[in-house]
Amino acid sequence: MSDADFPSELRSEFLLELDDIRAGYGRAALVLRGLTVRVPAGAIVCLVGPNGAGKSTVLKVASGLLTPRSGRILVDGEDVTGRGPQRMLAAGVAHVLQGHSVFREMTVAENVLLGGYTLRDKAVVAERVAFVRDLFPVVAERWTDLAGLLSGGQQKQVEFARSLMVSPRVVLLDEPSMGLDPKATGVVFEQIVRMRDAGTAVLLVEQNARRALEAADTGCVLDLGRVHVAGPAHELLADPQLGELYLGGRPVRR
Amino acid sequence: MPSASLVFQSVVLGVLLGGLYALLAAGLTLYFGVMRVVMIAHSAFLILAAYLAWYAHRETGIDPLLTLFVTVPLFFAAGVAMQRLLLTRLRPATLTMMSVLLTFSVALVIEGLLGYVFSGTQRRIRLGYSSSSIEFFGARVAVVKLIAFGMAALALLGLYVLMKHSRFGQALRATIQHREAAQLLGIDTDRIAGYGFGLGLATAAVGGTALSLDTTIYPSLHWHWIGPLMAIIVVGGLGSVPGAAIAAMTLGMLQSLLQLELSTTWAQTVFYVALFVTLAVRPQGFFGGRLAQRF
Repeated sequence: MSDADFPSELRSEFLLELDDIRAGYGRAALVLRGLTVRVPAGAIVCLVGPNGAGKSTVLKVASGLLTPRSGRILVDGEDVTGRGPQRMLAAGVAHVLQGHSVFREMTVAENVLLGGYTLRDKAVVAERVAFVRDLFPVVAERWTDLAGLLSGGQQKQVEFARSLMVSPRVVLLDEPSMGLDPKATGVVFEQIVRMRDAGTAVLLVEQNARRALEAADTGCVLDLGRVHVAGPAHELLADPQLGELYLGGRPVRR
Repeated sequence: MPSASLVFQSVVLGVLLGGLYALLAAGLTLYFGVMRVVMIAHSAFLILAAYLAWYAHRETGIDPLLTLFVTVPLFFAAGVAMQRLLLTRLRPATLTMMSVLLTFSVALVIEGLLGYVFSGTQRRIRLGYSSSSIEFFGARVAVVKLIAFGMAALALLGLYVLMKHSRFGQALRATIQHREAAQLLGIDTDRIAGYGFGLGLATAAVGGTALSLDTTIYPSLHWHWIGPLMAIIVVGGLGSVPGAAIAAMTLGMLQSLLQLELSTTWAQTVFYVALFVTLAVRPQGFFGGRLAQRF
């Protein structure tokens, strides 16, 4: 399988397309070498691959933190290549960083409201607040607490809620399960599925490849800055060779 | 052993002095918070503002407090310019270290210019109310000291309200706490950082005007201020405004009390003792200061 196996009749339904991206940091060697990833509407697409494959870099390119050297970025068919984070956000791409990125010394409420920093209409803000509080009960429960006092899994959910304030079309999630215990990881993945079901497409990067592919619709295996294999997530999970190479050991025997 | 009334008098004076320290330390904390900049020139701008107040008073006879209407916006603009034109040119990897050198040189330039323009002569503003004082439970407090404290307290309160309740303040705090995350929420972090720097310098304008009311000023006076201020923000916890305020009040009061038994020079060593103790026992600072742990 390769990129070309994406069904072409669905092409207009791709919300986010990264097309033949080459990117790197400073004068160092390229991290992404002709990478193509497509995210359909209403889907969870998961990028897996070894350390240093360029998974986080893909997300930085997609959110405008890093400008690619070549290639194109399309959001809903519109070419947005070269735009910075502010304009990418306006185009509908939200990015949740790796690790803890809540504003620790601010309350959960302040964090979530800052997610709507670019919204000018108070009625829209109120509506989105109600929406994210409903989607993430823990956010509503801990509303007035300092975000830094929450557990890792709860902080992740605050970050999710914050990113959904602007009603993004695609959310980029960088290692959401990093540093979480198995129980918290389970909750976070449930929430990712709920985000998708609420209408937001998700591009997910994970070390915890097996768990992520179980939640995802489409999987892409990255290696050396390119998409090595792409296809339905359940097929990737069942592929014994991939399991051996990239998913940390043998797949579950059926 | 000093009498109880003398001790009380010192406590009152210490609190009044601590208010000014707190305001100035809040400015230093802002620079470090938004940009990881150690701003050695902060107290040089303080003295510059005091000179401007003195000069305006000498030339026109206006009350020095009125100069605030000019110096606060002027210093804010100078802060934004300094951040955008000078500090952003430093390489991020060595920013904090190099900012010490850069702002040290800015301090020298200001000191040199003050000496060149106004000479090294000691200056003091004489006002109608300079020598008046009021009784406060047996302590005599100069009116000018009260005014200075009132200005510092008002400015700090204004800073607090701005940081906590304005859209700009929210964006500034977000930028301080996690710059990349702030950027990803659509906050123009470069612009916000510039304004944050301007705000820090505006505190020096308020502080300098307050200082000019009851202090004899001369161009090199800023060296007496920067040490204690740096000590305060380390003791309080780098990046923590409330921490700086508490440390400023505590150390200001201690300094004032020690002056009863020791000379002025020795009393000032309380700041350095506190600094050493902090670095040895609790390097992240005593009040807040998670930022220091991260950097």
